[in-house]
Amino acid sequence: MRLSDCVEQAWANLWKKKLRTSLTTFGVVIAIGALVSMFAFGQGVQRNIREQFEALELFNYVIVSVADAGRPDPSEYDPDDAGHRPAEPDPNVVLSTPQAALDERFLEEVLRIKGVDAAFPEVRFPAQIRLGPKEQFTLVQVLSERVCRSMMPGLRAGAVYASNEPNELVISDSLLRRLGVKRPETAVRKTVEVRTLIFNFDLSSLLRMAFGRGDQRLPFSSEGHTFTICGVAERMGFGGPLPVKSDVFIPPGPAADMRKLMLTSIWDFFEPAGEPGTYSSVTVKVASVRDVDAVQKELQGRGLNTFALLDHLEEMKKGFIIMDTFLLAIGMIGITVASLGIVNTMVMSILERYREIGIMKAVGATDGDVQKIFLFESGVIGFLGGIFGLLLGWVVSGIINVVVNGLTARQGVSHIHYFSFPWWLCLGAVAFAVLVSLVAGIYPTIRAANVDPVVALRHD
Amino acid sequence: MSADAFLQTDNLTKVYASGTVEVVALRAVTLSIERGAFVGVTGASGSGKSTLMNLLGGLDTPSSGHLCVDGRLISELDHDELALFRRSTVGMIFQSFNLVGSYTALENVALPLLFAGVAKRRRAERASELLQTVGLRERESHRPSELSGGEQQRVAIARALVNHPQMLLADEPTGNLDSKTSRQIVQFLADLNRQRGLTVVMISHEEALLREFANAVIHLHDGAVVRRERVR
Repeated sequence: MRLSDCVEQAWANLWKKKLRTSLTTFGVVIAIGALVSMFAFGQGVQRNIREQFEALELFNYVIVSVADAGRPDPSEYDPDDAGHRPAEPDPNVVLSTPQAALDERFLEEVLRIKGVDAAFPEVRFPAQIRLGPKEQFTLVQVLSERVCRSMMPGLRAGAVYASNEPNELVISDSLLRRLGVKRPETAVRKTVEVRTLIFNFDLSSLLRMAFGRGDQRLPFSSEGHTFTICGVAERMGFGGPLPVKSDVFIPPGPAADMRKLMLTSIWDFFEPAGEPGTYSSVTVKVASVRDVDAVQKELQGRGLNTFALLDHLEEMKKGFIIMDTFLLAIGMIGITVASLGIVNTMVMSILERYREIGIMKAVGATDGDVQKIFLFESGVIGFLGGIFGLLLGWVVSGIINVVVNGLTARQGVSHIHYFSFPWWLCLGAVAFAVLVSLVAGIYPTIRAANVDPVVALRHD
Repeated sequence: MSADAFLQTDNLTKVYASGTVEVVALRAVTLSIERGAFVGVTGASGSGKSTLMNLLGGLDTPSSGHLCVDGRLISELDHDELALFRRSTVGMIFQSFNLVGSYTALENVALPLLFAGVAKRRRAERASELLQTVGLRERESHRPSELSGGEQQRVAIARALVNHPQMLLADEPTGNLDSKTSRQIVQFLADLNRQRGLTVVMISHEEALLREFANAVIHLHDGAVVRRERVR
């Protein structure tokens, strides 16, 4: 029997039972649609994270901190984990290498390490941002013009400050929205007040803190500084916590002149006072991902702690595999139900065409010919289910994408394709649907092939 | 086996087991049919006529004994080889026509060619030729339900001939037809036997009809051959 005839026969037989074929195929369409959507979502998440990390060169960064610092790594701090406390430094451990201080000299030295492109300290402080009548509390990050430019390749409006000196700032779109500005371009050149928290040294405050009984107010006050918005940054939808993690960025020039409390978390209260002019952590940008390992080793050799996102790439990949497996497991529920539908349809078809099978055998069909006819019918159901399931998954994903983007756009998140349909997913979905249908068709096919022509020809 | 024998059986026996009960449908049938003969098989209901037909056509396998067709030991063939035997050597005609109800006359006639791997166009041409032969060229797009009993049987004959068989096996081909149509059908089979040299084995209750057209008539009773007579 020719292959083309198998397909034609299968299609003709299925077409004779349009309703039953449609319902069975619809089951496969739903199952494949759900599976494809979930897989496409998983792929979309992975692609977005990978692309954003690559675009921002996040794998090129190494965060350096002092080795025995009691505070937890900010990237690992989980505010929900109330019981989390960092391990106390072991007093018996003696560092074999003298520890480098994270100061300006270190910043100059680190630039001399082969492969290092830039190094900048993490300087962040809390501030109140006031724009017109509205105000918001946030952390302001100090970034040099060069670093800021490389970290923010795409801005919603305006540009990064031209040098390290002007009283200009880059603000995130999401903060801008919270401040009541919906169109980023209208905010550029507007003036904002940045109010920093300062320690109040006046005598009355100190006395009140020392002897006050009912008055529990802390001896803090604030100081206002005027800045002009020069650019509006878009908020990243995925990832992006390192090394840029603020809603407002100002150049080092005006930052140096501002009185401010460098307080970014509750751990800062417990941290022993460092040497003046030192930083708690420094971000080192490596020119090529290939050099990250060497740079890390070099810094660790100086008794410093290092953290590179690249080290966690394998863990991320494992996480992606777990996510894909989980989505596949959910999708397989639908596939299993659809397969049972195919088995049911094919068995019904065999019972209805029992005599026809006998006739086919009487005129010379081999068991293999009969198997082919029914197996191709299963395969055609799977193929149609795969094609239309893929289409359904694509359409539903598109609708979800539009709705979710519509919602997240209000928070200033840029448009993201949450679903990804790589070619292998499209081909794989159709191939998988056909394969599953063929497997579902095995039992009915064997049953059809085993029909005794003598009995079947007597069958009414 | 005689030199001219096209078909020969040797103690052909078929036993059906139903639980612990065994029913002997055919008892040690030994017969020989010459190439180009028209042989009638008759007997009462349950005498084993259809069982013999199923064995001769390779639809069933004997419990014991041998069947030899055109020098091939058919009783020893496996499933697939039997299918090839049915496809290439035998054409079968049944009392209830056994046409596929959802197929047109043309598609029914072309069905054996489908399994022979013949191309679609060639199948249609050949089936059309055969329908022309049986006088149903203009009815080729009709489904069985749109044809009379005689027409359906002619479609079945066309289907039986489509693969150029060497032997036609007709199991009560006139059982569902009126006497006039029955004569036409048997006459047609006799013509095929005479003109094309086809070996025809026809089962029928109507002994008179067999005597009129067949060369020899075999009488079955209780699964055994009780008499064989040459009638012409």
